[in-house]
Amino acid sequence: MVEQQPIIEARDIHKTYRDGQVAVSVLGGANLALKHGEWLAILGHSGSGKSTLLHILGGLDRPDDGAGAVRYRGEVLSFARTASLDQYRNKRVGFVFQFYHLLPELNALENALLPAMVGKSKLEWFTGMRSERQRASTLLESFGLGHRLHHRPSQLSGGEKQRVAIARALMNEPEVLLADEPTGNLDAATGDGILGVLAQRHKAGLTIAMVTHDASVAARADRVVRLVDGRVMEQ
Amino acid sequence: MYAALLANRYLTTRLIPLIAVGAVALCVALVVIVVSVMTGFLDVLRASGRTLVGDVSVTSGIGGIPYYAELVTAIEALPEAEAATPLIDTLGLLRMPYPEGKQKEISPVQVWGIEPASFARVTRFSESLYWQPPRDEAAREAMLPDDPRLKIDASLFANGLALQQSSTGRSGMVLGMHVSAANKRTHDGSYRQLYGWFMPAETVTLTVVPVSASGRISEPKDRSFPIVNEMMSGVFEVDKSRVFIPLSDAQSMLRMDNAPMYDTSAAPDASGSFPLIGVAPARATRILVRAAEGIDPNTLRDAVEVVYQTFCEGITKDPARLAAPPQRPSILTWEQQLRDLIGPVEKEREMMRVLFSIIYIVCAGLILSIFWAIVIEKTRDIGVLRSVGASRAGIMWIFLRYGLVIGTLGSLAGVGLAWLVVRNINAIHEAIGRDAPTASWVGALALAAACLIPLLSSARRAKLLPILLWLLSAMTLAIIGTGLLLHKGTLIWDPAVYYFPRVPDEVDWNTAWLTLSFGILFSVLGAAIPAAKAADTDPVEALRYG
Repeated sequence: MVEQQPIIEARDIHKTYRDGQVAVSVLGGANLALKHGEWLAILGHSGSGKSTLLHILGGLDRPDDGAGAVRYRGEVLSFARTASLDQYRNKRVGFVFQFYHLLPELNALENALLPAMVGKSKLEWFTGMRSERQRASTLLESFGLGHRLHHRPSQLSGGEKQRVAIARALMNEPEVLLADEPTGNLDAATGDGILGVLAQRHKAGLTIAMVTHDASVAARADRVVRLVDGRVMEQ
Repeated sequence: MYAALLANRYLTTRLIPLIAVGAVALCVALVVIVVSVMTGFLDVLRASGRTLVGDVSVTSGIGGIPYYAELVTAIEALPEAEAATPLIDTLGLLRMPYPEGKQKEISPVQVWGIEPASFARVTRFSESLYWQPPRDEAAREAMLPDDPRLKIDASLFANGLALQQSSTGRSGMVLGMHVSAANKRTHDGSYRQLYGWFMPAETVTLTVVPVSASGRISEPKDRSFPIVNEMMSGVFEVDKSRVFIPLSDAQSMLRMDNAPMYDTSAAPDASGSFPLIGVAPARATRILVRAAEGIDPNTLRDAVEVVYQTFCEGITKDPARLAAPPQRPSILTWEQQLRDLIGPVEKEREMMRVLFSIIYIVCAGLILSIFWAIVIEKTRDIGVLRSVGASRAGIMWIFLRYGLVIGTLGSLAGVGLAWLVVRNINAIHEAIGRDAPTASWVGALALAAACLIPLLSSARRAKLLPILLWLLSAMTLAIIGTGLLLHKGTLIWDPAVYYFPRVPDEVDWNTAWLTLSFGILFSVLGAAIPAAKAADTDPVEALRYG
């Protein structure tokens, strides 16, 4: 059920990258409202600033100074302290990346547990470790990875890696999942399976913002916007 | 919690941290081994020096201390003092029994006139007498078969202790082990006699020059003494110049014994003699004091100063006394007396400590470069961790903790390695001193030959890295094998040259703990710069890096 109240709102976002003397404007006044419970696809060609917008929505990056604001449930994120943004990334949103970005030294279960470990103090972790492990196992099992819990990323297929990455993103039960080309590195069948997993979670109430350059992938979303010349255009 | 997990995984899943641990271990071990051996030398030097001077000494000028027996009694009554002994310290010339013929060798010596019984209570005189039979079976077995001590008469030791030749009842002399040029030190630290000059069977002539309290020199006095034993304190400077004779002999030769005093200002009697005033007291130039169990030498020195002051005032105020003790004798602890001997060695050790401290910087540099490479390699992981909410401090802590673990493991391993080497340093030294066993060089050369097989195989596959690694292995083993083959026993620490017969084999634990702490500290400091770089990494850039 999509509520009308936006959970994350970006207004007049500008972002310019500098490479020595050269300034490259990526976002030039982007506006976007992500409503609670919706699945939004951000479509755009390569280099259009989709990932940058997603990073700004997720508190990984900040807009240019004084250029627009991002609000999470009405609270301005752009001016939040670093510690608050760390909390926001840990508790409120979960990231899924095109290249999975699993830590190679950890197995699937440990990768999934990472946000829980990061978000808890030593005492909280030791007292709740058993239940957290159980929860991560259940999550991975629900993605069909019950037999792969103790396998390292190098022993997993691309689809399995992305499912572990989704489990990691959902470990702390965030309100919003931010997916950056989640199927971009997978073959069609495997990508379809991943989208199925996302659809299943969306049906359970998860808000999703997904960046893609593939219109057929974007079609799975409730709403599609296109990023053109650094601005968001409704489809 | 994730910091611990990641630091642990980074440590256990790759080779490079183990290399860092090994490098830190070697650095720490090097410092601990070198400083431990030097501290050992210093300890031996101190113990040996203390052996013959007690804990505190009261030293007067050449006039000596009259009524010294009263002072000794007063000092021995102190709860801080265990025992005290008087002695006369002077210089003399010793006419040696060698060479054959009339022209004998003359050696300048430092003469100590002692009371053997009380001197042995204050110092370790009995332990320092060289010619004594082995104390137990273990000591007997440790001696070489041709060691003369295995065959000596037990009475020699008793004669040395009493400074008396038991067969004749004559006063005897104990020589420092290196006073006689006929004693030759061997590689096991024991002595043999050149040309058959066994000193305890010989007689020497000692010449001293009596000097009055006013500094007037009298006719030189000489006396012959049978040598009753020889002494080894462990300090070469002492053993090459010191001789011991009974105190009474020294007093009479130096005119410091009891002597009648006449009033030369009065008119002589019918026989031409001046009237007798009384008997001038015998004198000693030094009093050595041994501290009671658990008493610090400085505490004893303070107590002895008070006693001396009281003794001095008592004598000076008594009109019946014919001589007054010196007002300001030198009262020093053994450490103060041996300052000139110990000071330079201490400075040398500290210099070593400072020079080897560069090793800590090497540790830090090593960790820094290894961690810098790891941080570059792990840039994407840093971005991932930031994306799941890890703070900058948390990222920094991963690498600091990693440095802490490497520093701790490396430093502990280093101390362990140092302990192994130092405890077995004499065995290692002895092994180096022998020819290498045939099996060792044959084994090394065989392994070098075996390395050629994978080397040729790699060459066929045209793989450069394995070619290089196998080639280096083969060359190293061949060099080791050839070195072992050519090795014919090198005695690095020759006790015949260096004074101490054994290399000190006790770990200096103060240095060990200090080095361990600095090893850890500098490892963490070395990790801090890459850790700060990791913390400063922009997460978006980091994720793009992947």
